[in-house]
Amino acid sequence: MKILIIEDEPNLNASILEYLSCSYLCESVHTYKEALEKIDVHEYDCIVLDVMLPDGSGLQLLQYLKDDRKNDGVIIISAKDGLEDKLKGLALGADDYLTKPFHLSELRMRIEAIIRRRNMNGQHVLSVGNIVINTQEKLVTVNSNEIELTQKEYQLLLYFIINKNKVLSKSAIAQHLWGDEMDMSNDYDFLYTHIKNLRKKITVAGGGDPIISVYGIGYKLQAR
Amino acid sequence: MRLLTKYNRINMVLSIIIFLIGSVLFYFMLHYVLIRQLDKSLRGEQQEIEEYIQQHKQLPEIENTKEQWTSIKPTTVNIATAIKQSGESYNEEKGRIVPVRQRIFTIVVNGKGYMAIISKSQIETDDLLKLIIVLVVGMIALILLSNNILNRKIVHKMWLPFYKTVDDIKSYRVSSQQPLQLGKENIDEFSALNESVNEMTTRIDQDYVILKTFTENAAHEMQTPVAVIRSKVDMLLQNPEWNEKSAEYLQKIEEAVHKISRLNQSLLLLAKLENRQFIFDETTYLNQVINKKIEERVELIHAKQIHLHSKNIVEKVVLFHSHLIEILIGNLLNNAIRYTPVGGDIVVRLTEQYLSVYNTSANGKLDETKIFQRFYKASDLFDGTGLGLAIVKEICNVAGYTIQYAYNDGQHQFTIYFTDDKI
Repeated sequence: MKILIIEDEPNLNASILEYLSCSYLCESVHTYKEALEKIDVHEYDCIVLDVMLPDGSGLQLLQYLKDDRKNDGVIIISAKDGLEDKLKGLALGADDYLTKPFHLSELRMRIEAIIRRRNMNGQHVLSVGNIVINTQEKLVTVNSNEIELTQKEYQLLLYFIINKNKVLSKSAIAQHLWGDEMDMSNDYDFLYTHIKNLRKKITVAGGGDPIISVYGIGYKLQAR
Repeated sequence: MRLLTKYNRINMVLSIIIFLIGSVLFYFMLHYVLIRQLDKSLRGEQQEIEEYIQQHKQLPEIENTKEQWTSIKPTTVNIATAIKQSGESYNEEKGRIVPVRQRIFTIVVNGKGYMAIISKSQIETDDLLKLIIVLVVGMIALILLSNNILNRKIVHKMWLPFYKTVDDIKSYRVSSQQPLQLGKENIDEFSALNESVNEMTTRIDQDYVILKTFTENAAHEMQTPVAVIRSKVDMLLQNPEWNEKSAEYLQKIEEAVHKISRLNQSLLLLAKLENRQFIFDETTYLNQVINKKIEERVELIHAKQIHLHSKNIVEKVVLFHSHLIEILIGNLLNNAIRYTPVGGDIVVRLTEQYLSVYNTSANGKLDETKIFQRFYKASDLFDGTGLGLAIVKEICNVAGYTIQYAYNDGQHQFTIYFTDDKI
């Protein structure tokens, strides 16, 4: 899996690169010109594209990609959450749009979704240890025992599996499950209920307890 | 006091003073001229008498009239120059004392000295003076009256453009982003005023746009560094070496970043609402949006053991902006959930005329004058942005709806009336 990160802010670029590097083959550039060179030579499974670059517009780059009939998946990351920009980007053929500031785990989720959608040949089965998710049929098995999950529990498990071995803060999990506009007042009791239920279902099916609490700040799915 | 009234008052007082002084001066001048006229004719009489004496060497026959009479008496004194004087004298013809002008002089006839006194009645002169004064007073009254009428009718008419300008300025709203376009007037002063007002509002408008663009840009520009912080916190979380204390700090940073990000988004949204950047052209089923937004918050509602009742939810279709309607209803619900105490109630109603959200109050009535203000928070206990209701209010403004807050039976009651509905 090859990912190209196009982001001019060096700190953000470095964070994305570091976070994604353990799962994908990543390359990163900071300018429109560098990006153009990379796109011309290589093919990527997904391109993380910042709209505002110092020497050009990300949307222009997207236009170039689509004109050239490149099949790379594209996720736009932008500080502008203007609906028009979003629609423009998606109309130009971007697969997804993420507004800054975002959680790296959320970006990882979106990239994974794009890659899964584009690779129709298989690849819709994810697994960590003895937990297997078929994302096409939304089927979860633990130790080959199928388990019944609610919508939220399924989303939660998928989020954990895709971001396996990463500490995910409660706030990031809540934002992933309930969206950003929700007003949670830093009170995540209801999140705890979902985690508890998910843990129970996995443990009962004989999967042990893969979800580790981390100092009350968040959770981590430990791949064994 | 109106300018016209004030001007009229000053004008009247000044006119009266000037007319009075003028009349007094006029009186004295006229009096002086008339006396001189009398003196001149008296001198003529004296000359006639003297000529007669020179020719005939005897005193002339004196014929007295009502207006003029002469007395000649022997005397021993000699008056070198004739004496002119005003006084009173008995008029035989009229049989009473009348005011007169007299000329007294001496003449010599055949070596004998005589004193002659010619008296001329001053009654006519006085009558003339009286008439003139009556005329002057009459004129003053006439002028003041006509001035008043003139001011009322004509001047008021001339000031009309001014009142129009005032009305236009009164109805001017900066947020409408329409600089005033006041027309040219016949009167230079008003044209100058209109021009200056036009220029001023154009400048205000430009500054306002700059300010708004600034708010929008500032919010945008802040998103990137916030994104950097958030990504670095995400990375820090992965560090296996930190302890419980660092975890706590990280969590606080994370919460703060989340809040900044929400604040930014809210400010951006407000700026866009003020810019009227949204078009309300999407057919929206309000009841569906309400159900969806409640559904999204089921866990939050359960976590606080709140009882949510949906009552009289009718099928209501409006033309709206799909993003804004979700924010509107989401914010109202967020607000209700946030401020309802554990175990409280929320009641949502939707009728053809209004949408209302009632919730149990934790700490009494809110200040209705401030509740929709930006960054107003009823208490610091809750960690909101303080912009939620301001956004609700602004969306209502843009949509032409009215929102009202009331407090009854321990309940906060927010009601949105779909008046001036866009459908």
